[in-house]
Amino acid sequence: MATFSLFDIQARPNRLFAQALSCLLFVLCVGLYIQTSVKRHQENSEDRVVPNARQLMTGIHSSVLEPAEEDDYVAPDNASKWERLHHSMIWKDTFASGRRFLISLILLAPAVLLALHIGLFPYFGAGFLRFILFFDKIVALSLLPILFIVFGIDEWSKIALIVIGVAPTMILDVTQMVKAVPREQIVKAFTLDANDFDVAYRVIFRQVLPQVINSLRLNLKPMMLFLFAGEMIAASDGLAYRIAIMRRHMGMDVILPYVLWVAFLLYCIDLALRVLNRRMHPWFQS
Amino acid sequence: MVSVLNSHQEAITASQETAGSTAIQISQVSVSYPIGKKRRKTILEDINLEIAKGEFVVLLGETGCGKSTLLRMILGQERPTAGAISVDGGVVERVDSRSGYVPQKYALFPDRTVLENLTMGPETSRYHIFGRLKPGFRAFRKQVREEGMKQLQHMGLQASDADKYPHQLSGGMQQRVAIAQALMMKSSVLLMDEAFSALDPGTRKSLQGLLRSVWSELRPTVVFVTHNTAEALYLGTRLIVLARTSHSDDCGSRVALDMKLPESGMCLARNGKDFLDMVDHVEQFSRGVSDTTASPDGETI
Repeated sequence: MATFSLFDIQARPNRLFAQALSCLLFVLCVGLYIQTSVKRHQENSEDRVVPNARQLMTGIHSSVLEPAEEDDYVAPDNASKWERLHHSMIWKDTFASGRRFLISLILLAPAVLLALHIGLFPYFGAGFLRFILFFDKIVALSLLPILFIVFGIDEWSKIALIVIGVAPTMILDVTQMVKAVPREQIVKAFTLDANDFDVAYRVIFRQVLPQVINSLRLNLKPMMLFLFAGEMIAASDGLAYRIAIMRRHMGMDVILPYVLWVAFLLYCIDLALRVLNRRMHPWFQS
Repeated sequence: MVSVLNSHQEAITASQETAGSTAIQISQVSVSYPIGKKRRKTILEDINLEIAKGEFVVLLGETGCGKSTLLRMILGQERPTAGAISVDGGVVERVDSRSGYVPQKYALFPDRTVLENLTMGPETSRYHIFGRLKPGFRAFRKQVREEGMKQLQHMGLQASDADKYPHQLSGGMQQRVAIAQALMMKSSVLLMDEAFSALDPGTRKSLQGLLRSVWSELRPTVVFVTHNTAEALYLGTRLIVLARTSHSDDCGSRVALDMKLPESGMCLARNGKDFLDMVDHVEQFSRGVSDTTASPDGETI
């Protein structure tokens, strides 16, 4: 019988045991939270730092079914839960942050194409690469005051912050991917009468696309980080704005669900991209 | 040895008669690259070759003698430091579709199925990136796919392999597809760089047989790079051995041996004593500077 060792590289845990193990840390965190909450509530029944289940349910209820501001539209008493959700705080904030996030994502597409050109066309590489290398070293958050001056404090300054923060790193990453495509593939394509754009888009881009999607997955968190930075400083709605507002009121019953909601959203986007990648590029998985 | 060479003479004459005009012209080609600030390392030195249309030329030599460099220059991937190379009468300055190419590795596009790999050349050739929106594209694609399926079966692959990705094929099958891919373009010149080197002996032998039969049928001009003497003698109708004449950085490889081979004779005598004698003889030349018995100026038989 094989002996159990945590440090056995050649170990082959069975599926059930591996899944149980993957849940262990989640259970531990929840357990630790409950214990802390119970302890704090024994000392102070109105404790708001580590809200108990009832407080959390109240917070979630108000986030999901009640409007954010007093002057927002209030659904009538007989309105359905869907209608209430549609005018709720979390909906408004998710929609606002999601729109900024999505626009930034769309604006990153030209960055990927630029990276393709930098990695493939020598003149593009000569013109752009050094500048991007330098630009990548600029701390994006230090540009925030400039962005507020240039774009104002509304949407575009936050979107610009995300793009400026993520694009240079992504360009450098994709450039390396393009350069890593074996030279034989490019030569082969030319012998098949491909022109330069055929090689760029029908050979190289197709081959690096799954890696680009993976790179995007890794950049989801930095994107959200820059979005949060912008929203916390100057916004009137958005997930980070709400968290910042709630911090002032010690509203942990709203902050905690919001934090978990953001993590859940990012996890879902990541999962969607992973599934999309697997479906679109079955050859890459091997 | 002499009897083998004499028996080749008839084949040489026949080969010269069938070979019409020049397919590849290599004139006074030298290649060197800088090492350090003032020194240069010469790889190839004063190479002059004329390859006739329909010849099956095998470039043989030890590792690092510059045979792959010469192939890449014919392809247009590298440029000579001195001299010029022309293919089909036009000077080679960049890679184009005049030559088909089968490398040792990465011969196929991993993101395309076998059939897509085969049809990529004809499709791209006629419909470039924005041309695919033209109305005739679908009909043309259908036609090319049918042609691709025929080519696939011609190469000894199953119809069910058409939808597989390259990573789902064995090394030998991949190289079969790579040859078919190059043949789909109907290029007059086929360049193969150690195309069978990574294969096991059995697969290698069967692919050698396949290549010979394809060449006999279609008669493209083939330049095949290998370091395997037996393979070179089995496949080629002309054998060119490159070897260094000195250990000095200033001296590159030269043509140590340029020998016509019969179109079929060596295939039949593959395991005979004459064949093995010939292998020994050729290997003396390919050792070049490391073997004192080799002719330093190169021998042309």
